[in-house]
Amino acid sequence: MSRLTEQPRITSPIKLSEQQSFLQSLIYSPTTRALAALIIVFLIGLIFNADRAFLKWNTHRDMLRAVSVYGILACGMTIVIITAGIDLAVGSILSLAAVAFSIFSIHWGWSPWLSVAVCLAVGAVSGLASGVLVATFAIQPFIATLALMVMARGAAKWISGGQKISTAVQQADGSYVYAGVPDIFNFINSKVFGGNISVVTIIFLICLVFCWILLSKLRYGRYLFAIGGNEEASRLSGVPVAGIKMLAYGMSGLLSAVAGICQAAQELQGDPEAGVSYELSAIAMVVIGGTSLKGGRGGIWLTLIGALTIGYLEKILSINAVGEDKRLMLTGAIIVAAVLLQRTRR
Amino acid sequence: MKEFSKMLARGLLCVVVALAGCSDKKETKDPNGQAKKTKWTIGMSQCNLGEPWRVQMNADVKKWAEAHPELTVIYKDAQNDTLKQSAQMEEFISSGADLIIISPKEAVPLTPVVAQAYQKGIPVIVLDRRVSGDQYTCFIGADNKKIGKAAGKWIVNILGGKGKIVELKGLMTSTPGQDRHSGFMEGIKGSQLEIVFDADMKWLEPQARKEMESALSRFSEIDLVYAHNDPGAHGAYLAAQAASREKNIKFVGIDGLPQEGQIYVKQGILTASFEYPTGGREAIETAMKIFKGEQVPKGITLSSRVFTKDNVDKGGELLADE
Repeated sequence: MSRLTEQPRITSPIKLSEQQSFLQSLIYSPTTRALAALIIVFLIGLIFNADRAFLKWNTHRDMLRAVSVYGILACGMTIVIITAGIDLAVGSILSLAAVAFSIFSIHWGWSPWLSVAVCLAVGAVSGLASGVLVATFAIQPFIATLALMVMARGAAKWISGGQKISTAVQQADGSYVYAGVPDIFNFINSKVFGGNISVVTIIFLICLVFCWILLSKLRYGRYLFAIGGNEEASRLSGVPVAGIKMLAYGMSGLLSAVAGICQAAQELQGDPEAGVSYELSAIAMVVIGGTSLKGGRGGIWLTLIGALTIGYLEKILSINAVGEDKRLMLTGAIIVAAVLLQRTRR
Repeated sequence: MKEFSKMLARGLLCVVVALAGCSDKKETKDPNGQAKKTKWTIGMSQCNLGEPWRVQMNADVKKWAEAHPELTVIYKDAQNDTLKQSAQMEEFISSGADLIIISPKEAVPLTPVVAQAYQKGIPVIVLDRRVSGDQYTCFIGADNKKIGKAAGKWIVNILGGKGKIVELKGLMTSTPGQDRHSGFMEGIKGSQLEIVFDADMKWLEPQARKEMESALSRFSEIDLVYAHNDPGAHGAYLAAQAASREKNIKFVGIDGLPQEGQIYVKQGILTASFEYPTGGREAIETAMKIFKGEQVPKGITLSSRVFTKDNVDKGGELLADE
């Protein structure tokens, strides 16, 4: 095999799949299988439509809003999982960013651009910290990001003093004064296109496109796939493995901060307890989409399909007012079914 | 010289004690030369400072303790870990605290250590959640069932006995969630209120918002949302606001924290918030009574207040006992 740095195009997984016959690749492609799971869930929604509630666009708009924060986390998770890693810190970095964003915007009155920029930097640095532990110190991703998960949660509690950072600002005498909601909060929490799409859904879409360019259009993306496929071979072929991996976790941290900003804007506050167990939902979305936990295989649009599958499932259970016990059991069953669907012969 | 060494000894004692996480025993002499205890150390063990309500409980204890300069309160956070809380209780016992306030994580595993302190002659005030048996000095807590019932009756009254209700429940595997539900059902019994939609939002605001979105897309007519906590009611409000329906729906929550429920009521987001008192004030008052040698009751049930737009600036209105 030639050196990856010289002829990286040959190793692109997309080019390889195009060599199969068109029909074959259509039926057995991960995208088709992921779509099958989504379509099945969608059909369930049409059948159990809760007095036609499922047929209204508002229901779908709300589902897209609710799924966006998880989806943004899943975008970063996809990048990391493609390198055969995992990032457990996304939920905690989300809360850290949410709290920081609220402090900057509400308490300190920073301009939106500055608050957003600093929050993104906080997220990226937290992610890079995981990356350094994984790439430089060769700590297993599970352990390294577990440590960051705990540390970021601690940091979120520390800077917030354990309290939600809301528009109720405590004065020196202990009383509370109501500060106005910053415009940036209202903007992110609003809807566009005649009230038919939430702004957070647009942000999710931008993140998807960003990751798509990263994964499919840049050399960096091919390196990610190469490392996930065979790290040692990539190293021998001259891929700067450590740097690429570090950046992957940095990207995940950055996207977690984006999710945190969206979370804060939608709650109108920064909650240091936000995002608990969100990492599991993000991982589920990536895996249901068909990105392999073993690394090297997957894609960002698969993650979108996975996110929609989980989003619709939750929405259908919610509009039908299904009890929490049955919801959990059904969600587990659907995850198993979707993953099995992914695994049929190839 | 003697004075100096005394000062030095005292200073050293302070340092040692501060390092040990406990303040000194102050057996000072009053001007008449009579030995009398005038300073006390209270150990406060909080089961989990991750919840705003419990942070508020500590803040209340602090606020009321500050009114008594003779009190030193040492706070410990068990981070939702029963064994850690048990260890912290033992630390308080061995460091010789004069009184312990504990808000236990759970009853049975923490009963022995509370009893141990009590039998050693250290008064123990148990806050919010109970321990088993009677080996403690005083239990102070509110009654979720009573608050739920009061909320139910209040809602029947404000809706004129008729209407469609969405109930957003707290975690239904937790006793506060169960009690706030069963109390509410008791409160609305006999009225024509109908619960058209209910969901377990697990005390979480984003979850409440999601569930409310579903309720909104399913029912074109909703009169009131009863949420088991104020963040839940606020999340429901945000969902209704996004659907431009917040004007036609009333929102009622529970907890009434100054920075949460009370502010929401002031802003007109919630029609009412029912206070779930922390008991911080009563704990310090009871502690002072114990130190002064007065008798205290074995149990104190805290009375709750309701906050509405009309009374929130005056500190809410006490709910009448039945």
